[in-house]
Amino acid sequence: MKRLRYLGKRFLLAVPVVWLGTSFTWFAVFMGPIDPAAALVSDADPTASDKYQSIRTKLGLDQPPLQQYIDFMTDMAVFDLGRTWVVYSGTNVNTLVLDFLPQTLWLGFWSVLIAVFVGVPLGFYAGTRSNTLADYLTSFSGISWRAMPNFWLAAVVLSLLINSEALFGIEWELLGVRTGAITGNPGLGYMADNPLNLFLQPGNTLAAVKKVAPAALVLGSASMGNEIRIGRTAVMEVKNEQYIDFARAKGVSGGRLVWKHVFRNALVPLVPIITTEAFLLVGGSVLVESVFGISGMGSLFLRAAIEGDIPVLGTLMYVFILMLVGINLFQDVLYTLIDPRIGLEGDA
Amino acid sequence: MSDQGSGEPMLSVEDLSVVFRTDKERIHALDGVSFDIHEGETVGLVGESGSGKSVTARSILGLVDDPGRIESGSIRFRGEDLTETGWMDARGDIAIVFQDPSGSLNPVYTVGNQIREALRIHQDLTGRAARREAIRLLESVGISDAPGRVDAYPDEFSGGMRQRAVIATALACDPDLLVCDEPTTALDVTIQAQILDLLDDLQREEDLAVLFITHDMGVISEVADRVNVMYAGEVVERAPAGRLFSDPAHPYTRGLLASIPGVHEGGERLLTIDGEVPTPNEAPTGCRFAARCPKAFGACDHTHPDHVALDGDQSAACLLFDEDHSAPVSPGTGLPGPADTDSAARTDGGEE
Amino acid sequence: MTVSRDDPRGVSQTSTGSRLLQNPKPATVWASVAAVLLGLELGAVLEFASSIALDSVRAFNGIQAVPFSVGTGALVGFERWAADLPRLLSRETVPSSGYYSTVSGEWVVGPVYFDGGQWVGTFLGLEPAHAWLVRVAVVYLYTGVGLVWLWVGYRWYRSHYRVADWTPRDDVVDRFRSHYWGLFGFAIVLLFLSTVVFGPTLAPTTNQVNNVDPYSYQIQYWNADAGAVEEVAVGNANSQSTSTGSANVGLWSYDDFGRFHPFGTMPSGQDLFTFIMYGARLSLTIGLVTIGLSTLIATSLAMASAYYRGRVDLGLVLLSDSIMALPGLLVLIMLSVVLGGTWLANVFDGGLLLALIFAGAGWPGLWRAIRGPALQTAEREWVDAARGLGQRPSTIMRKHILPYIAGYLLVYGSMSLGGVIIGIAGLSYLGLGVNPPVPEWGRAIGLGQPYIGTSSWHISIVPGVLITVVVIGFNALGDGIRDAIDPKSDTDAADTGGVDRGGGA
Repeated sequence: MKRLRYLGKRFLLAVPVVWLGTSFTWFAVFMGPIDPAAALVSDADPTASDKYQSIRTKLGLDQPPLQQYIDFMTDMAVFDLGRTWVVYSGTNVNTLVLDFLPQTLWLGFWSVLIAVFVGVPLGFYAGTRSNTLADYLTSFSGISWRAMPNFWLAAVVLSLLINSEALFGIEWELLGVRTGAITGNPGLGYMADNPLNLFLQPGNTLAAVKKVAPAALVLGSASMGNEIRIGRTAVMEVKNEQYIDFARAKGVSGGRLVWKHVFRNALVPLVPIITTEAFLLVGGSVLVESVFGISGMGSLFLRAAIEGDIPVLGTLMYVFILMLVGINLFQDVLYTLIDPRIGLEGDA
Repeated sequence: MSDQGSGEPMLSVEDLSVVFRTDKERIHALDGVSFDIHEGETVGLVGESGSGKSVTARSILGLVDDPGRIESGSIRFRGEDLTETGWMDARGDIAIVFQDPSGSLNPVYTVGNQIREALRIHQDLTGRAARREAIRLLESVGISDAPGRVDAYPDEFSGGMRQRAVIATALACDPDLLVCDEPTTALDVTIQAQILDLLDDLQREEDLAVLFITHDMGVISEVADRVNVMYAGEVVERAPAGRLFSDPAHPYTRGLLASIPGVHEGGERLLTIDGEVPTPNEAPTGCRFAARCPKAFGACDHTHPDHVALDGDQSAACLLFDEDHSAPVSPGTGLPGPADTDSAARTDGGEE
Repeated sequence: MTVSRDDPRGVSQTSTGSRLLQNPKPATVWASVAAVLLGLELGAVLEFASSIALDSVRAFNGIQAVPFSVGTGALVGFERWAADLPRLLSRETVPSSGYYSTVSGEWVVGPVYFDGGQWVGTFLGLEPAHAWLVRVAVVYLYTGVGLVWLWVGYRWYRSHYRVADWTPRDDVVDRFRSHYWGLFGFAIVLLFLSTVVFGPTLAPTTNQVNNVDPYSYQIQYWNADAGAVEEVAVGNANSQSTSTGSANVGLWSYDDFGRFHPFGTMPSGQDLFTFIMYGARLSLTIGLVTIGLSTLIATSLAMASAYYRGRVDLGLVLLSDSIMALPGLLVLIMLSVVLGGTWLANVFDGGLLLALIFAGAGWPGLWRAIRGPALQTAEREWVDAARGLGQRPSTIMRKHILPYIAGYLLVYGSMSLGGVIIGIAGLSYLGLGVNPPVPEWGRAIGLGQPYIGTSSWHISIVPGVLITVVVIGFNALGDGIRDAIDPKSDTDAADTGGVDRGGGA
């Protein structure tokens, strides 16, 4: 019950955060120094054209600011994201998001998975063998992953794959499941009719995974470094806890001690980095999706930015804020599952 | 009090030395510590913080980790030298209760889970039988509503209850020797008394031997049969409890006793020992207590004292009792007076 | 109890000033070394000062909100004059560009090669690569001497002049000195800083010649076909020294015009090393301004939080939570688009705008990191005591809270700086950062990206590796300082996880 109340409180706290974030976005887009309508018209003197006036009317820019603000917030609250102007001109943004979101989710899912399933074990490994050569090498690799710029890593990985035949003797496209080009969208269409096809058609799933694997690796690289680092510290700290000594004195030893008492507790400090990772993923997706040619939310955002489709920029920002706050809440749920102390000591 | 224990001791610590290495120095946490524990008796270990009491407890349990290392000496438990055979077989036969009850239980598992873990290892109990036994153990340490509490997490327990749960977990190992490392220090005074009573009852019921570690002379006078006084990694005096309190030999012991409120009658003011326990970072050349000792004399600075047997199973490591050195003050003259304390302060000031 | 040791320093409780008069020798030696070091580089110092002044005036004139502008004529003249002053560390003192000639002439100074040819115009007639190495060595030697001078100064101050025998800071310094990971970071950061300071000297040519206006400058080269020394515009030479999929001037090599390129050339023939040197200056400047701004905001707000608590603190938590809930890099992209057309975007080639955006998005992370220590400090007795004495809130914050959180600022500042460098590079890579053709590491990576798989891989790889190394260095330095200030502190990388990665770039 206490945990439910804790979750409820976290949910309530998320509301003002979304509201403030969205308001800030609205202000930057509609009250900022750039006239969004003028940015959409590519004429030399945009304000003179008829198109400019019609866009102003459609965007509601001739309304008083307060009215504009209320309209915008209401539209966002009911998920009426409006239409695009330049990017895929005239499309409904809702449709566009539904088209682009699956690729981003697919990419994000695998990058988290790669980061967690490589980073956490490596970190725990380094922590259990602290101050050995293996530990130093692992920790240093973690630090390097954190320090490498995503876009650079993406470019390097891409060209390694392009030259895979010359470098490794086997072409990446032919390795395992055959895929067309190295870059481009993962084929997720086979799941459109029946999401269970994820399991029913393993060939298609494998191809889709292979397609995003390099991008996911790059996108997850920084998170992986974080996990190595924090996992290592967590294990080293838990190892020094008195309950570990107490368990040893009880006669618990070997793998049982490490798995039951050390690793389970070391997972707790790893939970909050999920949010951190979500930020890295959302930010990184812009760069990684552009390099690997994946039509996801990030590349959509970048196109809107470069082509000056500022109203779309604002609505996409709202979608991203919702995603991040959602992940934050998911983290809280996970927290309560892993750490029974949550909700017991008042505010955590 | 049980009998003084004749024949082979259950646990025999001999000449135990433990060293901690840091980048810059080696710290002799224990330096030639020896004592025995017989079946069913309670042995006390007293000293200020930093005197090596907890390191002794950890050594007996085999919990000394890097950068610490047992350098020499032996820990014989039922005839086996644990420093050679390893602790694996003795685990459970020797159980420990730590000072801080909140740190002893893993916060992410229920109390019942952690008791059952010990039951599985040491009594081959699993499933319902283990659960029943866990509830019985919780009841036996005085936790009310044990069936309802067995699935609670440690953080849902109060400090005193947690310590009871820790004791229950220790008992689940079916131990012969219970090492209590300041088990009441972190608790409120009323709870302290309850826990001490509980330990006393358990000891009689289960016929446990207990090594009771504390800095509190008052507590030790209530529970211990025999007492070892530690200072800076050494045992400086050992004596039966009654004798230690009636006729302390080592100046350090006298100082400790003098600092208990209400022990000596007629004392207008409480005495203290000035200064702190020195960090023993090199092998001793003289007596480690010399700098704070009100009775120190010339030889103390360069002769390391050995234990001298005194009457009534008492011994002290002090040159005052060593016949090779002329003792300026005869032993047993009573407690150090105010003048002596001042001299200690003076010695101390010069050290600064 | 009074101190009764035979220590002369313990007896006389004097001030630093009178100690200086009592024993002026170390101070004199130290000051004269300073004078020599400074004298060798006087021209550079004056030039630097005047260029800063000039940039500020130009930036000021860029602010269109101000109705008047300030003339720059005198400053430009002074800068030219200062630029011509001789100095130790310069391309002119140790020149590394020249041409290889088999024609002997009156200007021959160096050793004569077996084929009768020699390098002309380089330092001592050395091969350009060697002459360049000599210049690099002189620069780092000068930096090294400067460091020793600083360290010795600190030691002398500590032993001769400081009144206190010991302060807590001494322990921090000592702990840092035995923290190898921190020292490693310190070394990298130091190398980076000295490279940034002396970048124009280290570079084979200047950014103006290399990148901005290559067709206005001529170089001499030995035309083997014609058998004569000829002149060519730098731009034309560049266009024949490109590094692309087909042509390549790689690491540590010469182009056809006898020009030495330590890091090779770029796709359109500019010298990559020069580009990177000037890019490093830009990254570091923007980074430092960013950290300075966000530190200012974060510190003031953290102290307000700590002093007033309650509603002020709650409001700030909500505000920072909301800013931190925005996806970092996306906000940076959105703001650089939204603010792109304004006058701000033209100040320092868009650098100021970048710094403002980064600071605006970055302060909540920094604030979060120092709020805890600030709150703890504000609970101490001395703060209550100061309040009781009736000191003004601003004085209490500055004198009694700030010193205790300054260390944390250094730690998180150092860690965030790496993230800002990555972030700037990421934006430039996307074409949203500083305005072209200003050199920036991210732009070099972007320009070289098509050629990573070819022999011209160096264009992308070198700046990428440099970013990685510099970021590792700043993080390691932050780790080291944190452990030195507070040996018991936990490694809580999650605290700055979002900030120190440039929002996911």
